Amino acid sequence: METLSNLAFGLGVALSWQNVVYCFIGCFLGTLVGVLPGIGPVATVAMLLPFTFGLGPAPALIMLAGIYYGAQYGGSTTAILVNIPGESSSVVTTLDGHQMARRGRAGPALGIAAIGSFVAGCIATLVVAFFAPPLAEIALKFGPADYFSLMVFGLIAAVVLARGSLMKAIAMVCFGILLGLVGTDVNSGVIRFAFGLPELADGVGFVALAMAFFGITDVVLNLEHKDKQEVFTSRIGSVLPTMEDLRISFWSIVRGTGFGSLLGILPGGGALLASFAAYMIEKKVAKPPRSFGEGDIRGVAAPESANNAGAQTSFIPMLTLGIPSNPTMALMIGALMIQGIAPGPQVMTERPELFWGLIASMWIGNLMLLVLNLPLVGLWIKLLAVPYRLLFPAIFVFCCIGVYTVDNKIFDIYEIAVLSGVGYVLLKLDCEPAPMVLGFILGPMMEENLRRTMMISFGDLSVFFTRPISAAFLIAAVALLAVIALPALRAKREEAMQE
Amino acid sequence: MRIRSPKDFWAGLIFVAIGAAFIALASQYRLGTMHRMGPAMFPMLVGALLAVLGAIIALRSFVLDGESVPRFYARPIGVSLLAIVLFGVALQWLGLVAAVAVLVLVGAWAAREVRPLETVALAAVMIVFSVAVFVWLLGLPLPLWPDM
Repeated sequence: METLSNLAFGLGVALSWQNVVYCFIGCFLGTLVGVLPGIGPVATVAMLLPFTFGLGPAPALIMLAGIYYGAQYGGSTTAILVNIPGESSSVVTTLDGHQMARRGRAGPALGIAAIGSFVAGCIATLVVAFFAPPLAEIALKFGPADYFSLMVFGLIAAVVLARGSLMKAIAMVCFGILLGLVGTDVNSGVIRFAFGLPELADGVGFVALAMAFFGITDVVLNLEHKDKQEVFTSRIGSVLPTMEDLRISFWSIVRGTGFGSLLGILPGGGALLASFAAYMIEKKVAKPPRSFGEGDIRGVAAPESANNAGAQTSFIPMLTLGIPSNPTMALMIGALMIQGIAPGPQVMTERPELFWGLIASMWIGNLMLLVLNLPLVGLWIKLLAVPYRLLFPAIFVFCCIGVYTVDNKIFDIYEIAVLSGVGYVLLKLDCEPAPMVLGFILGPMMEENLRRTMMISFGDLSVFFTRPISAAFLIAAVALLAVIALPALRAKREEAMQE
Repeated sequence: MRIRSPKDFWAGLIFVAIGAAFIALASQYRLGTMHRMGPAMFPMLVGALLAVLGAIIALRSFVLDGESVPRFYARPIGVSLLAIVLFGVALQWLGLVAAVAVLVLVGAWAAREVRPLETVALAAVMIVFSVAVFVWLLGLPLPLWPDM
């Protein structure tokens, strides 16, 4: 019952008129930018970060969360209408969603995506409200060794669940950790890896890194491919699905929500894994007649519900442990730090208005998305008709102004140029940026916790295995690596990623 | 010996180089002991791990088949980076209005198809938009014009 009274308290915070307005602006802007083809949630959140600088921590976080859901939803719209997934978690939506659009059923596809997302969002909000507090209490008991092992586990899990080569992903994590160490070492005061540049004393800018790897390089790669786009903008018709549509997708939405909520909690899982898993399971268990891949509405309902639920529950590790499970959450942590709040389990007790306000605003945000998207879908479609040659310079403008306003340093603009160059080469060589970004955020925390552990244990490494919590995380990490290294499972994983 | 997976080969080499560079740079700092780790310890450990992984990835590319390195197109990336750098220079000396104009007018050439008139119009729209939103509405401290 305590959870309910806390939720009520959170609703009180989230329903203050200013927070409702910020939640609305966040959802609106997030959808607006997310709809643009080729821009995923990470780039959207990074680009819109400056809009939250003038706000207090609670409204800023609520608005960012709104931007995140909005971007997620906007991405689905693009996936259905243009067959270009804004980000990897909408890839599966393109399979059936775009087929529906080709068969003149774009409206119901968009409608079921919105309804599925709303239902999933409502349930996932409750999951967060019930699971986050006990987890935060456990986390308060964690010592530095436990934290270190948890981060190792988190990074390994993120890598295992990522696409592409496992080794390259681990190497990218290491590269991210090293980049994260640039700047002043808090323990000794030594400025590391700064090449004598005073601007690097504060480290490499996180926003610059995220924008370079998820914004600028994406634009450049898009400019290289000149794919013919098929945009269904002419006749969308009613976005309301028929009763029959709702009836057959009901269980798909429920299943999608369940899987999404579960997988979203895992580090590295989040929306991406959730939508993939939900789609594959739907293909197996949905009642015949099945027409997956040819415009089956359940092929839209399940992954869309799952990715929204996953997006929501991925807040759990961020809020309770201060550990990001995906690059978007890493940005949220960055935003918290900019607001002067150290993320971690203490946030719940020290800043309850922030914690519960955010959770309650998730529900309000989902309601807003539903209200916003069903009538405004015509506006989003108009946006899709804007040619890319007009869009991409605007993306440059947003990225450049955005990165400058984080610290008002011209240097950050040069930094984004250098990082974009690096990102371009790495992306060409199939090195995924997501593990690197997680390593970047976790690197300094890992070093800090490792040092503390070693201080307490007098340099004895065995402490990682004698403390039960730490040992459990390490064993889990090794088990994950072993499982994925097994040839049979490896083939399965690749097969799954292919689909 | 033939390189069977050029993508992996080059990625591996880059990782080895990055790892080695961080180890070399870290060697200027104090290493400390495991009990009291100095600023060099952790970067060296991670750098070594990265170099080893890079070496394995590179060596593996002689055995495992993989994709060839895709073509690098100089124009999109080159023009984009140039436009961003010019934005920085212009923002510092000439203010936001000129910087946005430069960014759009130069950046637009990153695409294969450039329509000059349209680009000028886009620059004007982006200037009005960024001044209105970022400076007036959000009140962010951006210099509008050159410092006189």
